[in-house]
Amino acid sequence: MMKQINILFKKELLDAYRDKRSVMAGLYYAFGAPIVMCLLFSVLLQQMASPEALKITISGAERAPNLVQYLDSVDISHSDDADAKPIQLEIDTAYQQDMAAGRSATVVIVADKSDSKLIKSVRRLETALLRYNSEVAGLRLVARGIDPGLMRALDVQTQDQATPDAKGGLFLGIVTLSIIIAIFYSAMNLGIDTSAGERERNSLALLLSHPISSVQIVLAKVAAIAAFSILGLTLVLVVSKFAYAMVAWEQLGFSITLDLRFILVSLLIGIPIALMSASMLIFVSFMAKSFKEAQSYVTMVLMVPVGLSMMTSYDIATETIQWLPIAAQQYAMIELIKGNELGLAPLGLASLLTLGLFALFTLLSSRMLTSEKVVFGL
Amino acid sequence: MLKIRRHWRTLIRQSAIALGLLSSAGSYAAISDTASLTPCYTKGLADRLMCGSVKQALSANKSEKISIHFAVIPAIKQVHPTEAIMAFAGGPGQSAIEVAAVFARVLRYAREERDIILVDQRGTGKSTLLQCDMDPLEAQFAFNDDALPIFEYSRDETQKCKNKLNTDLSHFTTVAAASDFEAVRQTLGYQKLHLFGASYGTRIAQEYMRRYPQAVASATLDGVVPMQQSLVAIGDAIDDSLQAIFSDCADNADCRGQYPQLEQQYHTLLTRLEAQPASVQVPHPRTHNAIGLVLTQSKVRSAIRMALYSHATRALVPLAISEAGKGNYLPLVGLMGSDSGFGSLAMGMHSAIVCAEDWPLLTGRTRARFSDSYFGRMMIESLDASCPIWQVEAVGKAFYQPLSTSIPTLLLSGGLDPATPPGWAELAMVNMTNARHLVAEQATHGVAAQSCADKLVAEFINHTEPKELDAGCLEKTAVRRYFMNLNGPAVVSQEP
Repeated sequence: MMKQINILFKKELLDAYRDKRSVMAGLYYAFGAPIVMCLLFSVLLQQMASPEALKITISGAERAPNLVQYLDSVDISHSDDADAKPIQLEIDTAYQQDMAAGRSATVVIVADKSDSKLIKSVRRLETALLRYNSEVAGLRLVARGIDPGLMRALDVQTQDQATPDAKGGLFLGIVTLSIIIAIFYSAMNLGIDTSAGERERNSLALLLSHPISSVQIVLAKVAAIAAFSILGLTLVLVVSKFAYAMVAWEQLGFSITLDLRFILVSLLIGIPIALMSASMLIFVSFMAKSFKEAQSYVTMVLMVPVGLSMMTSYDIATETIQWLPIAAQQYAMIELIKGNELGLAPLGLASLLTLGLFALFTLLSSRMLTSEKVVFGL
Repeated sequence: MLKIRRHWRTLIRQSAIALGLLSSAGSYAAISDTASLTPCYTKGLADRLMCGSVKQALSANKSEKISIHFAVIPAIKQVHPTEAIMAFAGGPGQSAIEVAAVFARVLRYAREERDIILVDQRGTGKSTLLQCDMDPLEAQFAFNDDALPIFEYSRDETQKCKNKLNTDLSHFTTVAAASDFEAVRQTLGYQKLHLFGASYGTRIAQEYMRRYPQAVASATLDGVVPMQQSLVAIGDAIDDSLQAIFSDCADNADCRGQYPQLEQQYHTLLTRLEAQPASVQVPHPRTHNAIGLVLTQSKVRSAIRMALYSHATRALVPLAISEAGKGNYLPLVGLMGSDSGFGSLAMGMHSAIVCAEDWPLLTGRTRARFSDSYFGRMMIESLDASCPIWQVEAVGKAFYQPLSTSIPTLLLSGGLDPATPPGWAELAMVNMTNARHLVAEQATHGVAAQSCADKLVAEFINHTEPKELDAGCLEKTAVRRYFMNLNGPAVVSQEP
């Protein structure tokens, strides 16, 4: 039986090799996605970061020379040019009098806080003003013979248990999402081609006329598609490893490092997913009446694993969802990047479930191949 | 850093003698066991550090071992796993691990790609802390330090601390400590280090460069202590740094208007207190209970001296002098009573360093020169009293040779520094062939913490090309305007 599957497997690969253009299209995703993502991330990081020298509009600067001088020392200064960020700092007309009299002197920040490109700069200005505030307030106490340490009734110390590798948050989710998706998309064309395509080329009936069982045919096709998925996965992992290392994450205080261990474990985790994905692609394609119909069905059905993956990425998955296939595996990948212990129970269960789905889809597909309606697409 | 201490009389307490010669090549046993690292945290820094220790021989000919503790601040993105930054704390006597938050802030750009190693130098922090007992604030306030000869007071205090510590300080000198840092490097397995020394930390960094040049990729020395000069030379720096406030205030119309003849006011105050210290009741800076204060001229000088270290407290100096002249000593009480945030210095270790390295270097000529300044005079007197009691072995002559090196070295100085003025860096670099000295004219002690030098340091560590650095941004000033009244720098005359 294995021998026949093996021969069929080789035949599928040969078919794939002959139709390079459409099949390779899937691999372009695996190759291109990490690179495109990295370019996007780099642009995003740049936009989110506050410029080294932050230029804003300060009105009434002459009323608070010490404050303006302080801001300048932390690289926040006034500019009338177009390079100034749309942030305004208005110094109250009574600033001097209030400061001298020990009343709170008013300064007003005018900015659109919904502008995500501005938010870091606004926060930087707020932080600088807070620091200046506590410095002057502290000195007011010192001048009265009081230890400014009294202002700190609580000495709050935070002990952050995360390593720099674990602080990637949403970015980690997006990175692993793009890796998981590669398993599905890199073999999508091949999946449709070996099933719906074969039927449309009328060679499916010919295949069935041979003394082999439909299970063998389906298994051979699944193996070929899964092999392609794994190829895509390998590609996306290797490209990601180098591409994500180029992004200047450290500016945001974290890093995303994909080491060899991550690549190997991901490949291992990916095998059940690839098998499930392959059997699902075949099942859905056979359900369809034509090649075109198969393409639209597959696209729709793939929304399910992508959806599960996205829920993990955006961290909105409930406890239950985290035990489901795809979500659990992706969660494990994120933990791996963070350098945390892997929860083997959810991962094992999800992998078993994934293999169960693979068995189910394979069985259903081979059942379908015994129906003439399916074989001739009637 | 190079905060020799809060009060000169505190400084008097510690010092020790030089008996024999300890060769600077004196070998201390290398690491004996491999350290295992455990996660740990320090004050003011949320990041998780990795802590460990190595066992080191107390001295070359003794089997007794001490634990040298260290902490690693992990790089944000480990781009250079074989390299690390090693940061040396000041004092002498400061614990590097205790001030991890300061190093993490100053080296935040450099840390993006490399780990930072912090070692508690022997005698500080967790590595066999050598601390003397300090008087509580009430006792310090009530004590009339002008009533006793310094020599006598210093002798008694030193004897007390010597009895408490009961150890030979000769094992706690810069020379003795250098091999501990190397042992930590080897244990952690880094091939190359980028050194970052601040204040006294620049001296131990230079000693490390001299002994282990093959392990050093670059060195940044911030607030440089030259090998060939005694720390006692600090007296001039203190005077110059205060003088800068006087001239600055005289040049500024607002300050001059509010505090006319400030320098003269200061000397009038000192003369008055020298003749008769002021005895007053003041509220305790924290409890607000009434406590007695005997304000002597030396306490005023010390309080003003400590205020010179940061721009924020410099802003209070004219006000504090002027108010004290009018009999309101509260601003001075505030300057004496607030925690300066430097962390406590291990005074035993401090004495080991100054008595083995700085006191023996004093000659008739330098004694006379350093005695020109008040603080120089006081320090010499206190060392003369305490060092003979400590009996620390003096370091060998070779220790005082200026460091000859071709290691890329960046020296940083602040023009207003009350501890390590720019001239000291010039002395230190006479035999450095790949060094660059950058002066931030408006910076005080510790340039990297108060200007764009944090970025320059990161750039220097990344490229190790001292000549290529663009130092233009060091001109930016962090100077604050002087307080015009108790409430702030606003000009009071505008009050309606």
